[in-house]
Amino acid sequence: MPIVVNLDVMMAKRKMSLNELSQKVDLTLSNLSILKTGKAKAVRFTTLEAICKALDCQPGDILEYVNES
Amino acid sequence: MSDTNNYLFIGLKIVAWIIFVGLCIEAGGLLVNFIVSLFRPEFVQNLYNTLDLSDMYHHNKWGYFSMYSFILVIAILKAYMFYVVVALVTKLDLTKPFNSVVAGQIRQISYYTFSIGLISYVGREAAQHLQSRGYATDSLQPYWADSQAFILMAAVLYIIATIFRKGLELQTENDLTV
Repeated sequence: MPIVVNLDVMMAKRKMSLNELSQKVDLTLSNLSILKTGKAKAVRFTTLEAICKALDCQPGDILEYVNES
Repeated sequence: MSDTNNYLFIGLKIVAWIIFVGLCIEAGGLLVNFIVSLFRPEFVQNLYNTLDLSDMYHHNKWGYFSMYSFILVIAILKAYMFYVVVALVTKLDLTKPFNSVVAGQIRQISYYTFSIGLISYVGREAAQHLQSRGYATDSLQPYWADSQAFILMAAVLYIIATIFRKGLELQTENDLTV
């Protein structure tokens, strides 16, 4: 998958745990874990908005395109 | 799921079990007939469906074994197919029906249905060939009467299996949408 999720990097920068983020964005731990490990197939704009708000960052800080070839 | 659907599903489960037991009895009966007809041909008239092919056995052993092979394989395949159907209706969770096990079982059922249709068709052609050479094969007619129906059913089931696989992909994608 050429889209890489850098959620763990941003969480580390903000020194925020998965539990804390889960409470702030109102997402289950398992769903956040799916997103963090890059298993997610799609992300809703509302989720992205909540994460950006909680981590005080831009969508581009979380999502990155890496050319696999 | 509504109560009517629930009762219908329970009814289908019971029907699937009854058909499975019936087909097992048929396959077992045919197997016993086959073994007894080899050693005690005079006893066959007391057995399941009185399927007596001893006349053919004495004149054309190849024809006898091929005819019995066809009907035995068809009976066993039918019984196994209904075993898969019973397993499918037992495992199927209607609240979350799309899973890889169910998709695989539907595809398996379509393959078995196609095999039954194909073997029935070949068996019927072989029986007609033997009949044209003077052998009595009328008693075998019920075993391959529905060959075309089975092939058509296999095609329909294959389409359902393909739709189910697509549904499974969509459900997985939905589950992995955060």
